Amino acid sequence: MYRWFLSLRYLRARRTNWIGAAGITVAVAALILILSIMSGFLQESRNHLRGNLGDLIIMPNQDSPLSGSGRVLPKTDEAAMMEIVRANPHVSGASLQMAWYGMLVPDSKSALLKHPVFGDLSLIHLVGIDVPDEYGASDLQENMQASENTGSFKVTPVADLQHPFDPPPFYRSEGAPKAGIVLGAQLAAAWNLHPGDEVELFSLGVDPITRSVEGQGCNRTFVVTGTFRSGENAMDMERVYVDRRALADMLGRTTAWSQVLVKLHDYEADKVGAVASLRSSLAEGGFVHRPSGDNASDYYRTEVRTWEDLRGNLLGAIENEKSLMGIMLSLVMVVAGFTVFAILSMMVSEKRRDIGILTALGAHPSGVMSLFLMIGCWQAFLGASLGAVLGVLGALNIDAIETKLSRWFGIQIFDRSIYLFDHIPSVIEVTGVAMIVLGAVTCTLVFAAVPAWRAARLNPIDALRFE
Amino acid sequence: MPCALSEMTDPSNAPTTAGAPAADVILSGRGIRRAFPVGERSLEILHGVDLELGRGQRVSLMGASGAGKTTLLNILGLLDRPTEGEVWLNGQPAWSLTTRERARLRNASIGFVFQFYHLLAELSALENALLPAMIALPKAAYRTSREQYEAKAVEMLERFGLGDRLKHRPGQLSGGEQQRVAIARALLLDPPLIIADEPTGNLDSTTEEQVLEILLEEQATRHAALLLVTHDKRLAQRCERMVHMEDGLIQADSALPIPT
Repeated sequence: MYRWFLSLRYLRARRTNWIGAAGITVAVAALILILSIMSGFLQESRNHLRGNLGDLIIMPNQDSPLSGSGRVLPKTDEAAMMEIVRANPHVSGASLQMAWYGMLVPDSKSALLKHPVFGDLSLIHLVGIDVPDEYGASDLQENMQASENTGSFKVTPVADLQHPFDPPPFYRSEGAPKAGIVLGAQLAAAWNLHPGDEVELFSLGVDPITRSVEGQGCNRTFVVTGTFRSGENAMDMERVYVDRRALADMLGRTTAWSQVLVKLHDYEADKVGAVASLRSSLAEGGFVHRPSGDNASDYYRTEVRTWEDLRGNLLGAIENEKSLMGIMLSLVMVVAGFTVFAILSMMVSEKRRDIGILTALGAHPSGVMSLFLMIGCWQAFLGASLGAVLGVLGALNIDAIETKLSRWFGIQIFDRSIYLFDHIPSVIEVTGVAMIVLGAVTCTLVFAAVPAWRAARLNPIDALRFE
Repeated sequence: MPCALSEMTDPSNAPTTAGAPAADVILSGRGIRRAFPVGERSLEILHGVDLELGRGQRVSLMGASGAGKTTLLNILGLLDRPTEGEVWLNGQPAWSLTTRERARLRNASIGFVFQFYHLLAELSALENALLPAMIALPKAAYRTSREQYEAKAVEMLERFGLGDRLKHRPGQLSGGEQQRVAIARALLLDPPLIIADEPTGNLDSTTEEQVLEILLEEQATRHAALLLVTHDKRLAQRCERMVHMEDGLIQADSALPIPT
């Protein structure tokens, strides 16, 4: 009985105990707040990292012959291929794309020479698409419409969404009419390009088998018709969309596709099944490789992939940041633990005489130990529960808090123009909160155990002599 | 040195280290030696002390500073382990018991009254007096018997003239009042043995008399044994037996006329 009674009495009487509890509160609240925000960023980033990718991407490897077939390369018959893809029950839409690399040069060629970051901007990803199919398989259509949440890179919408490559009405071409091109919003902003401006694309064709440059380089002038903003920086900086046939024509290629974007009815539920069934049906049709059993040369693993496989390293990076943040902030918890250790050690020294009295009155050393452990327990319990409440409330109202703090200090803590979202994202994970609270209590008790153990080992004679 | 040995320490029936003492003996220390390490050597303070207290007996322990009184008291009070020898308390060989059993025995059988009162500063007078019961009982058991113990503590404190001081903290009480609270605490569980280490050593003469009256009266009413360490001969004479220590040995153990 005396342990409960005395631990509460000591807790109340010594103000330093509240400092220990406050330390735990701060640590727990900060951990919950930061991890909730990181989870929010992770969730938002997942949405944005996807960019204009579909759910699945089929990229047949045209460099390597099909296994067991001598020199036969995967088939390139686009109609037969799309038939197989569309026949899959999980698939809701599919779009053929021709993807290649090139250089973009604005019409005023002097800009190329003057521009200080010309080297960074010149290499771009050329994507040739069929407009209706692409709209059905990726988010391109939405990303070409001006939205409020696009930060500092505003989208310049095309004149006609159904025919995005049609030149703007005010555009007058000198000579033959030019095909249209839709640029990433960041790229357009960097070059200061607007609808009606002409740009020149340069590229080289490469023989897929010999990997040698095919003939001369090619170039063609396009007219800017609008921009898109996918949310993924690399995509908005480096990607341009043109008509698939126009790109094949410019490159002088007979095969006018290199990959297929696939949209599923229910990505989360079907992704595993859809990848497996597409791999087997496409391999059956001779469009992709079969598994050879040898991991190093297993092309089939990379030929049909989900968008997450393709962006795995970026998603992994954010996951990593979250874990690192968690580990670093756990150090705050350890600091709070040290505070409890210091406070309890001080209290044991102060209460030496009391320990002697209690022993003389019949208290067992284990009782003395649990008395001091209980004081640590109260600090942990009070600190962790208050911290959890504050952390959750903070995470729920982080936007209002940020706005207030920004106003008070006169600095912008969260610059909404940098990020793709106009609010600070936060997701409260119940298991995460529970783990943090449990971790805080355990950490405190471990730190409290040392002074409590010392109290139990005190010689009552020495303790009673202590005045 | 001439001394009148009481029948308790008569060599013919002197206690031995083996076997339980007679039923009317509450405390029996046999062949107690205590040595402390000093550097690489060891310094012996008690050189084999035998001492017995009968139930209800009032014994004073006297001796010059450094004679070993406090060391003996600590060992008999089960706070310090003897290097050699055994202490039988209430029929149990205390230093052969487990730590837990010994703590329980100390709680139930010994009431301590210290020179410096030793009350807990955070507790009120009443709570200090209730402490032995709180230590004896687990939470649930204490709850059910709390009223009974509280009534007993309040009754004692009122009898000791502290009726209006129940809620006062030790810091708000005078020395005499604090020692009265300490006596109430020592008596709460009706222990058969009270060990008082110079209980009035820190009090003025008027207060000393009041506190002593209370202590001796309670001891007599309860028929508890009292082992009283004192430097004061007048106080020792109020006991029925006087034990004198010198150089870690009992030099004299004399029966006195029963005080009136």
